[in-house]
Amino acid sequence: MAKKKITIQGMHCSSCASNIEKSLKKVPGVKEANVSLMTQKGIIECDEKVSEEDLKKAVARAGYKAISVE
Amino acid sequence: MKEDMHSKHSEHDHKPFKKVSKQEHDHSHTSIEDIEINSWKKKMIWSWIFTIPIAIVMLFDRIFGLSLLEFAGDKGMIIILLLVAFPVVFIFGFDTIKSGLRGLFTFYFNMDSLIALGTIVAYLTGIGAIFGIMQDYSGVSAMIMAFFTTGKYVEAIARGRASKEIKKLLELGAKKAKILRGKNEYEISIEQLKIGDIMIIKPGEKIPTDGVVINGDSAVDESMITGESIPTDKIKGSSVIGATINQDGILYVKVSKIGKDTFLAHIIELVEEAQGTKVPIQRMADKITSVFVPAILVLALLTFINWWYFTGDLSRALGVGVAVLVIACPCALGLATPTALMVGSGMGAKRGILIRKGEAIQTMKEVKIIVFDKTGTITKGKPEVSDIYSKVKEGYLLEMAASVEKLSEHPLSHAIVTKAQDSGIKKFKEVKSFKILRGRGVEGKIGNKSIIIGNQTLMKERKISLKGFESKIDEFEGNGKTTMIVVENSKVIGIIGVADAVKDDSIQAIGLLNAQGYKTVMITGDNERTAKAIAREVGIKEVIANVLPEDKAKKVEELQKQGMVAFIGDGINDAPALKQSNVGIAMGTGTDIAIEAGDLVLAKGSLVGVVQAINLSKATFRKIKQNLFWAFAYNVVAIPLAVAGVLHPVIAEIAMALSSITVVTNANLLRRRKI
Repeated sequence: MAKKKITIQGMHCSSCASNIEKSLKKVPGVKEANVSLMTQKGIIECDEKVSEEDLKKAVARAGYKAISVE
Repeated sequence: MKEDMHSKHSEHDHKPFKKVSKQEHDHSHTSIEDIEINSWKKKMIWSWIFTIPIAIVMLFDRIFGLSLLEFAGDKGMIIILLLVAFPVVFIFGFDTIKSGLRGLFTFYFNMDSLIALGTIVAYLTGIGAIFGIMQDYSGVSAMIMAFFTTGKYVEAIARGRASKEIKKLLELGAKKAKILRGKNEYEISIEQLKIGDIMIIKPGEKIPTDGVVINGDSAVDESMITGESIPTDKIKGSSVIGATINQDGILYVKVSKIGKDTFLAHIIELVEEAQGTKVPIQRMADKITSVFVPAILVLALLTFINWWYFTGDLSRALGVGVAVLVIACPCALGLATPTALMVGSGMGAKRGILIRKGEAIQTMKEVKIIVFDKTGTITKGKPEVSDIYSKVKEGYLLEMAASVEKLSEHPLSHAIVTKAQDSGIKKFKEVKSFKILRGRGVEGKIGNKSIIIGNQTLMKERKISLKGFESKIDEFEGNGKTTMIVVENSKVIGIIGVADAVKDDSIQAIGLLNAQGYKTVMITGDNERTAKAIAREVGIKEVIANVLPEDKAKKVEELQKQGMVAFIGDGINDAPALKQSNVGIAMGTGTDIAIEAGDLVLAKGSLVGVVQAINLSKATFRKIKQNLFWAFAYNVVAIPLAVAGVLHPVIAEIAMALSSITVVTNANLLRRRKI
């Protein structure tokens, strides 16, 4: 299991955060996704094999931009 | 979990400055928020520049029946309103409309979907009105957008305020360091520091990073990290924490940790991660939020159809439909918990209390039993001389005993040497034929005197009479002290009682917890007599003694049958018990912080922090409940009113903006509570 932190741009309401969470959880290998509107960050628990690109794409699919993944 | 943390660290080892460097933190934090605030501000100002004239025209038209645009005629007036409202909705509101429409098409509905639909429908009524089909709501569309941007602007500011303390934490780190290379002093940026560098810190300066003092002494203000207001004395060998402030002496400090590994970086990471954890009570609100927008879309549509069908008034039906769209506010629901958690954890961080798991603050109010580890938690974890009883001068006794004990590494020996040094003995006597008698004591010769220091077993072995000391020895041991008997030339000259002293504020803290009605329990590997003596001193009624370290978790489990348990331990060896308990409070003492162990972590090793942490958790949770109540109440009352057609769309929008502002402001009020 790996922990990843994504910085997300463009969120401005709680539905945004919950949309991104939903989209991230659909990525295969993602166990847990917590997106915080307050910190503009998402913390993801996932398998090691989940790539940064997959996560970024998931954020983009919900209509937002992932600035960085750590 | 622990492995994960480590592997994560090692990933960054080759670029240790990448993530923690101060500039980057500033960048990722302040700027995103400031950009957000500024962008809403701009949108708000421009929206109102166009909307105020519209509002004036509409006001005169609807209330006084005066048309300020009479010259243009009825249709002309509508066209002018449409033209003026256009930039407000479609230019200043572009981002909202775009995000909202995308939401509608991708089925990732959000708040913007409601506003976008509401404003566009209202705007289109203007075009319909030109053809005389319906009443003109185009001015209303501009007003909705203007109030929406205003609400968002105020909300963004309030949210920024909620994270005030956390931002301060990020700004704590020093930017420059002065280091010694050869005999010269250089000023370098913090990123260039390497482990092993010698830093020079002058009075009043910030200590750039974690390290160990190799020369000099001073007092250091560590309040920003531990919440401890009294400066801590630092001498050669003391550890110092980066971002704390040197008070009055020059310190030469060898760098021990840099970048991601520093104490401050750990704290920041803990606090940031806590923001991502959820408080269980929020789950219900989250579930509602996730279906909220589509539900409102359906409701608005049904409302519109019903009104149209039953009244036959298309304009009225549209107005009511728009009101339903714009009044619904998932934001208040979604913000209720995170804002309160943000303010609460910020307040905690300022006092050296780190909330790691949001869940802990909810569980805390159910906790009935508080279990303390003894050594290092209630007590200082280091034996100290507590009593001396002597037939000779105390100074002489200490001098003799310490001279011999100085050659031993045993903690009890350290205690005696420290006591001798504290009472002014600088030079020790030369000791010959020193011997350690394992488990029993030490012996040696000073001049022609033979000195033995040891326990009763040793005395029995050497057939030394304890006459005149028996009752004192019993008294010492009855109070839980380890008693060492000092013998000179086969005659007892005095006894020294050593105990692991209770921390200064343990008594006060446990007293407060008892008064609040908690059942306090002490758990320890010590024998029952020592344990009971300490328990009596601090006011704990129940003692579980003789517990092997690996059995602590099991004992906690047994206690859990009686109620929720909070376990307080020093985090390093108590990890299983901290995990087993319902709320684990880890005491990080000094520069070591046990990241993975506790739900709450105290940066300073004082039990008063436990009381504060409990109070803070409860206050934060109460605030969350309040917020959720208001957010639910708002939606439950406002949406039916809108459906009933009582609220004008503009009033609906104002109410919506106010609801989320109220929630965020209420969270900020948490700061007024005394912890």
